[in-house]
This record gives sequence, structure tokens and C-alpha cells, in this order.
Amino acid sequence: MANVLEVKELSKQYSKVLAANKVSFEIGEGEIFALIGPNGAGKTTTIRMISTLLTPTSGDAIVAGHSISKEPEKVRECITYLPDEAGAYKQMTGIKYLRFMAGLFVTDIEDINKCVERAKNICGLGDRLNDKIGSYSRGMIRKLLLARAVMTRPKLAILDEPTSGLDVLNAIEIRKMIKKLAAEEGMSFLLSSHNMLEIEFVSDRVGIISKGHLMVTGRTDELKERYNAPNLEDVFERVVKENEVH
Amino acid sequence: MKFINLLKKELSELINKQMILSLVFMLAIFFIMGNVMKSATSEIVEEASSNKLSICNMDDSDFTKDMLEYFKSNGSKIDLITADEGDLASAFNNKSKLKSYVVIPKGFGEAVEKGEKPEVLSVSKVKGAAALSNMSSGPEGTLASITLYVSQKLAEQQGITSDQLKTIESPLTITEHTVVADKSAQISMSSIVSKIMMQNMLLPIVVMVLIMMTSQSLIASISNEKIDKTLETLLSTPVSRGSVITAKMLAAAIVALLNAAVMMIGFTSYTKGMMSSMTADMTSSITDSATESVNSLLSTGDALKQLGLQLGACDYLLVGIQLFITIMICLALSIILGALVNDSKSAQTMILPIVMLVMIPWMVTMFTDVSSLPTAAKAVIYAIPFTHTFTAMPNLMFGNTSVFWLGLGYQFVIFIVVMFFALKLFTSDKILTISLNLGQKSRFKKSSKTNED
Repeated sequence: MANVLEVKELSKQYSKVLAANKVSFEIGEGEIFALIGPNGAGKTTTIRMISTLLTPTSGDAIVAGHSISKEPEKVRECITYLPDEAGAYKQMTGIKYLRFMAGLFVTDIEDINKCVERAKNICGLGDRLNDKIGSYSRGMIRKLLLARAVMTRPKLAILDEPTSGLDVLNAIEIRKMIKKLAAEEGMSFLLSSHNMLEIEFVSDRVGIISKGHLMVTGRTDELKERYNAPNLEDVFERVVKENEVH
Repeated sequence: MKFINLLKKELSELINKQMILSLVFMLAIFFIMGNVMKSATSEIVEEASSNKLSICNMDDSDFTKDMLEYFKSNGSKIDLITADEGDLASAFNNKSKLKSYVVIPKGFGEAVEKGEKPEVLSVSKVKGAAALSNMSSGPEGTLASITLYVSQKLAEQQGITSDQLKTIESPLTITEHTVVADKSAQISMSSIVSKIMMQNMLLPIVVMVLIMMTSQSLIASISNEKIDKTLETLLSTPVSRGSVITAKMLAAAIVALLNAAVMMIGFTSYTKGMMSSMTADMTSSITDSATESVNSLLSTGDALKQLGLQLGACDYLLVGIQLFITIMICLALSIILGALVNDSKSAQTMILPIVMLVMIPWMVTMFTDVSSLPTAAKAVIYAIPFTHTFTAMPNLMFGNTSVFWLGLGYQFVIFIVVMFFALKLFTSDKILTISLNLGQKSRFKKSSKTNED
């Protein structure tokens, strides 16, 4: 399985804080990788560096063969990024928003139409897509943004807290959708989430990050066995506490 | 193609129903104001141009009767006013439209015939606090006619002919000359000054509107992306940050130009309404004796040309270039200010620095000549880049081309410096991490204090 993402000792130093310290991991084609960690652990900083929004202090990441520091524009062609608590342009209708975002990835009208059609099917918002986004609920906006993130068939979709703001049924639906896209279309996902149940269900592998260090990576069953824990939540607790002791 | 997509999105954000409505509203206000001013001023003009003499005659002497007959035979309309003796206000109660009148008291004719200086009463009414409500020629017309008649009669008594009297009354033949730099023209200074003022009034207002509108829309455009959390998504798409910011700048400039055009149309129709009746006023109030000298004078337009005050196409091009650089400085400044915003409250106050930078030179250049200020004040005012926009037109008019070019050069340097920092900010991590949020800071201080407790 070829790697879509290779993160090599990625570090980010803010004026006083070392937000990410030599973080390394990789994601294969069609693989779902989840980055989990407590608040302020460096998840979002790592994700933002891979999305080319922040420049790393040292290290590099290769996305589909392109370096995030040397060819950020090429990287952005291969990825989509859904930030946590992201919004959409309130005065646009859902359909206009999808059309606008598709137009930033592809230029051919037919390709744009295909992307929009795909997003329409995925988000399931139906006729509400003709209404202004300002009238949407938080859950509806999240569904629209998720559909937007996968409509262009990126090699790597980076989703920060993908199901935040969604009710249980919608969250289940989204998880199923992510698994299906990875299995059937070979799309790779980098997720971050606080919801361990979600991570355990959806991801192939996880990475636990704490205080800027990537402590451990592995398949969830492997990690449960290694830490002799009944579930991922216990694994997480032990890893984070171990790091606090050191 | 991607850039056009971005530009379309920015324009659709800025041009919405509210914006179009406010433009229509602005035009309507100018139109209504123009018409109100027109009707107000035309009333004054009508009054001044009519040969109506409002007189309250309390003298039954033959002299006064002859005088009134003479006025009538000369084409003047006599409006005879009745007022109670000792109550001058009563005349206004009888005639609501009356603004002023002249009382010829008892013994007026007798005094003239005796060669004494007779007394008349000039009565005017204050109608309201508004500037135009009290603007009337007053009883001057009536007084002038009476004075002329009486002085002629007195001259006759002394055996002086009417030609001799004219010479005595205005013994000098005055031709006015106005000098600008090394050129001079045969025209009165006041007419030149009023023309220049009219020309220089419109541009600063348009500049103000342009600067405010552009800054406001660009700051809002960037800060909204940050507040609504759409900026990260936008910057993670395969478009360069340069094109994102260029689309925002261009959209803000297009919308500002649209506003300026509407403002200019509105303002022109407003001033036209006011000025058309004002100029009619000026020509109608010129008396016969003065008409001859007016004919010999140059037209104001020709005089401006002769004095080198008329701007040519090249000068307008230079003013246009300066305006363009001014807008570019504004846009660059707005990128920085917009990037500092993190909540909607600070977004509204972020325009204040630009407002200050525009208002100060605008006020100063409106009331005084910057070069006549003390050195320290001059240095401060000249350091504000927008000062040079307001002084551009007068500088070109009065031939201070070196000062103009220095100003333009200074603005260009400022633009390069500000744009450099703006681009550096927008293309670095700082666009996502920087914020100037005083409200949140104080909340943070508060919460850390309670934690310590």
C-alpha cells in the first residue's frame, strides 16, 4: 500500500511554546488515520501544517509525493481540509457555496457540475440547498462542509472533529460514509476527534499525541492489547498520564 | 478562472440588497436636498430681481407723492404697507410674505425741501434660524431707490447736473486685477476664489467616501472570514494567498468606485440645483451702471485659463494617479487592520485609524494652507500620506509641481512599505494566529485572577 502522507519529524515552535515536537507518521492509500490527544496537545497545529496553513519550524511532510514546504500549492491540489467549527458564507445558498468551492479545485464547468452533484447526494440536504446558509442549523452546515470536503475526490481528506455538532444518527451516517469512501474509492483520511467511540469504530490506525509529542501509533486492537486496556479510552488515558509523569 | 470565481464571490458579498438600497437612498437624499435648496434660493432670487418697493408712507407731502409717482413711472411696483405707528411688527401680521419694508415718516418731504438730512426707518424681520430663511436682499433695493431720488433732488437744489452727481458718487474707475504666481488677469479676486472653491469642494468629498468605503469593505471582508471561520478553508484550497487577497482588494475597489460615482452624480445634481439659482441671483443683482464694466471683464473660465488655474487633461491624469495610489495605501492598510480582527466588535472599530488619518488632513487642508503651518505641525501633517491627496489639486493649480511630485513619491514609498507588510502578514502564519482583541484580553486577565483565587 503506497503512502499518501508521510510526516517526517514535523515541529512547530510558537514564540514560547513547542506545539509539535518531531511528529512522524504515515497514512496509506485508502487508510483512515486518527490523531487523538487532549486539548492543546498539538493535533490542530500538526493538521494545519499538513494543510499548508502553517509553515513548519523544522521537518517536512510529503503529500502524494509533494513536500508541504517546497510545493504547498501542489499539496493543496491533493487535499481538502475541514477545520473544527468551520463556517460557510452565510449569504450564499448551499448550492452556490458548493459551486464556488468546486470552482477553486477544478476549472472545467462539467467537472464543477459533477462535484456539485456528488456533494448534493452526500449531504442529503435536498431542497434546503437552495436556501441561504445563514438559515441552516449547525448540523446542516457540518453536513454541507463534509460533502464539500469529499466532493472533489481528494487523495487525502483532513477532517478536524468531523462529527462535531451532529446528532447521533447523523454522526453514524457520516462515519459510515467515511468508511465507504475509503474502502470503495481509496480516499485516505486524517481525522482528529475527542470521541473515542467514533475513533474506535471508524479508524484503521490511531496516533496519540500529548504535549506536542506523538506518543504512540498503531491499530486500535494492537494498542488495546499492548496496554492491556478494554477500550481505546483507557489506552488514551494511560498514554497521556504516562507522558505527564515523564 | 479560479481568480474570477474568487472575485465573483467577493463582489456578491459586497453588492447586496442593502448596499443597493443605501445607494438609491443616498441618490434620493441628494436629489431631494438639491430641489429643496433650489426652491429656497429661487425664492430669494425672485425677490431680489423683482422691482418691488415695500414702503409704508406716513408723510402726505407733495414731495413724497411725486417720488412714489416717479418710481411707478420707472417701472417699479409699489407695495404700500400699512403699519400702526409705534408698532412696526403689525405690518408683518397683515402680510405674511413680507420680509422687510421702509417707513417714510411724517415730515420727510419737508426735510428734503429744507435741504436737511431726512430720516427713514428700515424694518426687517428675522424669520427663522435656518441660514436661507433670513437670506434676503432686505430693504436695500427700496432704500437705494429712495436715496437716488433724494440725492438727485438735493443735487438739483444745489444746481448740480445728474452727470456731475454720478461723478461725485463714484469718482474712481476701478479695474480689478488678480495675480496668481507670475500671471495676472483682469478679474476680481472674489469671483476667482469662489470658482476655485467650487472646483475644490467635490474632489475631497469623493476622496473621503472612496477611502472610507474601500477600507470598510476590505476590513469587513477579511475579518468576516476570520470571525465566520471560513478563512482556513479558503486558504487550504489550491489558490494562492496572493490571488485571494488580490480578489478582495479588487472587489473593494470596484465597490468603492461605484459608490464614488453615485456620490458624484448625487453631489453634482445637488450643487447644480443650488448654484443655478445662485448665479441667476448674481447676474440679476448687478445694477445698470455695473453692467458695462462686467462686459469689459473676462469670463471666469477665460480668467482661470489666463491665470493658469484651469487644470488640463494631463493634470487630471496626475490627480487620478494620486487617487489610485491613495486607494492602494488604504487597501494595504485595511489588510493589516482586517487581519488583526478576531471578533465583530473589534471589526467595527478597526476603521478608526484610517478615519483619523483622513479626517485630520481633510480638516486642515479645508481651513488652512499646510505650508503656512509651524514646522512641527507641518511635519506631522505632511507625514500623513493622505494629506498629499488633498493638496494634489491645489498644488497642480498653483503650479507647485515639485511639491506635488514629492507628495506622490512619498505616497508611493508608503504604499510599497505598507503593502510589503500586508503581504508578509497575509502569506505568513500570522494571518491565522495574530489578533488584537482587547476585550478578550481583559476577560482572560479576569479569569486567570479567579483561577488564582
